[in-house]
Amino acid sequence: MAPHSPGTDQIETLLWIGFVVGVIVFVAVTGGLLYALRRYRGERGDEPRQLSGGRGIQFRVGLLLTVFAAATFIAATVFTEKAREVPVTGPDGLEAAASTPLEIEATGQQWIWRYDYPNESFSYYKLVVPVDTTVSIDLASTDVVHTWDVPELAGKRDAVPGKHNRVVFRADEEGLYQGDSATLSGQAYGSMRTAVEVVSPEAYEEFVKSQREEIQAAQDRVVDLIGNGETP
Amino acid sequence: MSARPELVIDGYPKRRPRWVELATSSDHKDLGRFLITAAFGFLFIALIELLLMRLQLLIPENTFLTPVVFNRMLSLYGATAIFFFALPLAIGLFYYVVPLQIGARGTALPRLGQVGTWLVIAGATVLYAGYLFTPTEAGVNPLPPLSELAFLANNGVDAWATATGLSILGLVLVAIDLTATLANLRAPGMAWRRLPIFAWAGAISSWLLLVIGPIMLAAITMLLIDRNFDGVFFADGSGGAPLLWQHLSWIFFTGTYMLVLIMALGAIAEIVAAFARKPIFNRGVVIGSLAAIAVLGTLAWMQNMMTAPIGIGWMYFAMLMSLALIVPFGLIFFNLIATLVGGAIRMRAPLLFAAGAIAMISIGLAAEISHSMIALSWKLKNTTDSTAATHFALVGGAVFGGFAALHHWFPKLTGRTMGESLARISFWTMIVGTLLAFIPLMLAGTEEGQVIDAYKYFDSTGVNAHNLIASIGTLVLVAGIVVTLVNAIVSRDGGTEAGHDPWGGDSLEWFTLSPPEPHNFDVLPDVRSARPMRDIREAISHRTAPAPEKPAPESQPVA
Repeated sequence: MAPHSPGTDQIETLLWIGFVVGVIVFVAVTGGLLYALRRYRGERGDEPRQLSGGRGIQFRVGLLLTVFAAATFIAATVFTEKAREVPVTGPDGLEAAASTPLEIEATGQQWIWRYDYPNESFSYYKLVVPVDTTVSIDLASTDVVHTWDVPELAGKRDAVPGKHNRVVFRADEEGLYQGDSATLSGQAYGSMRTAVEVVSPEAYEEFVKSQREEIQAAQDRVVDLIGNGETP
Repeated sequence: MSARPELVIDGYPKRRPRWVELATSSDHKDLGRFLITAAFGFLFIALIELLLMRLQLLIPENTFLTPVVFNRMLSLYGATAIFFFALPLAIGLFYYVVPLQIGARGTALPRLGQVGTWLVIAGATVLYAGYLFTPTEAGVNPLPPLSELAFLANNGVDAWATATGLSILGLVLVAIDLTATLANLRAPGMAWRRLPIFAWAGAISSWLLLVIGPIMLAAITMLLIDRNFDGVFFADGSGGAPLLWQHLSWIFFTGTYMLVLIMALGAIAEIVAAFARKPIFNRGVVIGSLAAIAVLGTLAWMQNMMTAPIGIGWMYFAMLMSLALIVPFGLIFFNLIATLVGGAIRMRAPLLFAAGAIAMISIGLAAEISHSMIALSWKLKNTTDSTAATHFALVGGAVFGGFAALHHWFPKLTGRTMGESLARISFWTMIVGTLLAFIPLMLAGTEEGQVIDAYKYFDSTGVNAHNLIASIGTLVLVAGIVVTLVNAIVSRDGGTEAGHDPWGGDSLEWFTLSPPEPHNFDVLPDVRSARPMRDIREAISHRTAPAPEKPAPESQPVA
């Protein structure tokens, strides 16, 4: 999965750092172990020298490990801070979101995601956003804990009832990005997927406008039906 | 040449049948052996549940299990593996071995240990009695609000809470007995600084359990109050906080993770020293590092909450604590390897499993470093990569480490050695199985973002091959584990006679008979160093020189 947002670019770099750190740890421990096990075989009754380690070597190894841990911490801090930076809407993005991010509310509920757009239209399952535009998603939940997870666009975040959480991204390419929910939320958890469709700003404007009109028409029809004494 | 026993109680015929004696025993050896046996039994049950889940995930969009049944298997697997396998195994091993290692004739509060052991069994009974109505569907860590009455109205979650609560309560009671024993019943001369590393691991684990156990008991009680008495501890909107459960439960689960690793590393240290015929390279550093793991590891609980709505400052705190663990873990691995260097290594089954444990734990901890990096955990958390990382560390610690301890102390437990060739077959099958089962899950998690705990995956997400291999790998792993369980059952009566000290160990459990008499020691030696058994062997060889040392299967050697 290729990253398609400035934040996930940084996370991808950190992934490689984490991989290298992990390989160093694994190779050092398992390599040392295998070497010692192969090299120092003995027969029953052999009595090796009863060596034990003084403070000097322990201190040096401890210092080396501390430096290694500190370097890992610093690298992780640098890229975490870069990943947290709120990007600015680019030239191809939505003009209305040029200075402040496009605010969208995402609400997790068993077992679908609802997205509320600024013009009071909404959609279920699929979120439509303009390309090259900073989008800020306000995560909330109406029932249990859900996790919003569209790995190509942003790191995952929990939607906890009574709390608000935030995801910010700027999609760099038009297309359809698949996502999941990543916290067990009951029976249909495995099917509680989502998708983000990144379109041009014009197509986005068109989408929210037509979505709003359709919702309005449907609501009017329900009001009419109730007015006529029918069950909608 | 035989010692005059100070207590002659063993010659009297038992008044009651053997099973009544065992069921009413408050002897730490009977109870410890009972906990260990039960733990491996529950390991087998947990593996069946794991296999059923992996069968469901064999092919995309499989309908072998319904979502509800899958969630039940998931919840039971987690509860069984943690509360009825890993923890009872660790505490059971400590309870059996540590009093022997410190030269105690029993434990300080035996009735407490007896109650504790039976509470664990009662907990398991409650969990599996859930089958009579409905088992929990709330997952390995049942996060509220999903675990609240409004979302899971059947009694499964109540059964889970009662079962795990009883298990924790029981293990805490055993831990109290262990700490009291360690504080009061050490043999003459057995100063804290001379305590074997496994006994230190037992002390540290007991203290850790005394901290994290009551925290989880409090959380479970709150959950039960929420569900049954209209409580609002974790209910949103009425002054409650779903995140409170996450904090309390993750303190416990993170501490438990560390406890399992402390047990495994303590056992590995004993095994490495015994089979290299050398002292641990630096005892003090290893013991200090084990204590540091208990403290730092538990303080890193928010490493599991990096995607939750908590402040970034807390995330940095969790990252600092997690990455600081590199130092104590690194020092322990260094000292274990340095102990092997220059040794006269005999590659027997205990050392084989110990080496496997170190290798698997190192993969798990290496992967865990990535999960500790804040921004990276936003990508990796709750993917199958976290499943794999946790399983590498805990299969490494509890299964490989547990099997290393089992092979090492089996002669003491039963008087017989476990079959060496079956051990080798089991070991290599398990290594292949573990790698096949969890490496593909790591790739599926990091590359394709496959999520954790889900009852299915879709054909279009590109994880078909990963999951197919993982399912086959799990089957291989289970087969390998079953071979060792069979080996233990067969060797219990059919293994070769071990004698009191088959490995040439340094600590006092090898001084007494295998299996030990109820009072553990006829004669207590005067402990003058951290390697009392070595001192005894030297004293004997001086006394009997130049005649060769003769084994004394029916009586104990005298210092």
